[in-house]
Amino acid sequence: MRVSRLLFVLAVLLAHAARGDPLQHEFLLLPSAVVVGTYDRQSPETQIYDQVVQADALLTLQKGPFKLFGEYLLSDHEGDLERFQLGWQMSSDTVVWIGRYHQPTSVWNHDHHHGQYLQTSITRPWIDEWEDLRGALPQHFTGVLIESAHEVFGNWRLRTAAGGGVAPKLTNDGMEAFDLVHPDSTRRMGYQARASLHPDEFDETGFGILVAADALAADGLTIPGGVGLDHVDLQLYGAFGAYAGESWKLTGTVYHAEAQLHYPQAASRGDSFWVGYVEAEQRFARDFTGFARYEQSAGVADSPYLRLFEQFARTRYVGGVRWDFLEHEALTLQLTNSHMLNGHFSDVRLQWSAALF
Amino acid sequence: MERSAVLTMRRAVLLLLLLFGAPWGSAGSQSVVLVVRTDSPVTDLDSVTVRKLFLGLPVLINGRPLHPIRNRADALLDQIFLQEIVAMSQTAYDRQTLTGLNRQGWLRPSEVDSGDAALGKVLADANAVTFVWQRDLAAHNEQVRVIRVLWSD
Repeated sequence: MRVSRLLFVLAVLLAHAARGDPLQHEFLLLPSAVVVGTYDRQSPETQIYDQVVQADALLTLQKGPFKLFGEYLLSDHEGDLERFQLGWQMSSDTVVWIGRYHQPTSVWNHDHHHGQYLQTSITRPWIDEWEDLRGALPQHFTGVLIESAHEVFGNWRLRTAAGGGVAPKLTNDGMEAFDLVHPDSTRRMGYQARASLHPDEFDETGFGILVAADALAADGLTIPGGVGLDHVDLQLYGAFGAYAGESWKLTGTVYHAEAQLHYPQAASRGDSFWVGYVEAEQRFARDFTGFARYEQSAGVADSPYLRLFEQFARTRYVGGVRWDFLEHEALTLQLTNSHMLNGHFSDVRLQWSAALF
Repeated sequence: MERSAVLTMRRAVLLLLLLFGAPWGSAGSQSVVLVVRTDSPVTDLDSVTVRKLFLGLPVLINGRPLHPIRNRADALLDQIFLQEIVAMSQTAYDRQTLTGLNRQGWLRPSEVDSGDAALGKVLADANAVTFVWQRDLAAHNEQVRVIRVLWSD
């Protein structure tokens, strides 16, 4: 049975268990449109769509402590059920999900997901890029995710998230996440955990650590040199922090990755690298927000794992300004200078984004 | 800095509404109260929990989530909601609830435009929680229970 159908059946059964509670729903549409121009192209790999029109739709159905939550992204380049989760709100502070989720060790993606309106910059850090946009880390898993929060050290809050599920696989077109609508069985498992401390219940300011152990099956993948690949064991360790003031916001994350590439002949090769970013945002008068982000890496030049992702940006400079010109509508202008593993290029982007509900 | 200015402006607007805008302004003290149905499992909610509830965060009693109803009967009640209950501007409130929906599928509080409608929702749902002017309770004293006073002039 397809996972999506299984979740629907479970949702119906659980709704019966919550009889007496009203069925509630929430719908949010996050449309956006962006145009991109590239210049100073000194890289063979600048595969950027020059325009993207997309709509990210979120739907929650809740009955008692059970909820069905979905996110569908439709654009002029793709249509994908990004998240589809059946949740049980165990207590005010703990929710258990089963289904397809965004893995919690990507702080950026776990905070912003696919909706463009809710992130200040147009692009996300390259290390947190989605699989179908040549991202180097797995982002979508299908399994179980538990999110929780607890009071510690007085009023401080410890927020945790832990997940485990079917991992994306490596193909000649990049990484491919498990598809709920068209499932396959040639995959391995991955596990992730994140913990962070915050001064109080509502504060975005905080700091934390993350760890992941993912096994990525290779499906017909031939690496440079004509050698086949069986699978990759990818371990990720990291730390992150955020300061959210009244007009300033600072965020930063650093990842240390250890990859072990396994070949069919039972040989294997390991490598490790560091990637991190820091972003600053400042709100100005008249609903303008300026932002700048610096992305940097180390040990990536000879990484056999990152050679699977030719578009990986070893260094990137991002800057721009966002103008919330109407309630729930924004225009964003962004300049980017990307240094890839084999060249560099720059681009300028203009985006309109909105939240409709 | 910007948020402080917004909150200062809100306090000024609140004061002006109290002095000139509300027709009942000179008719004696008035209060905004948090109410539930008489048979509700809710016995007490502290201010932090009330804030969580109206920001859309899950608040469960006996394993069942509470359902917040935002009463938008008049401008003064809106100001009291933003200043005293959720402690943020309308823009920040919108962003907070959208973020919660995006991250964890949290439901935003449902909204009604009168005290009668708010009380009607509470009477229909034992897990519903709303806030109304105390004077709106006159016809419902036997059916609802006041949990706490949120604001009084």
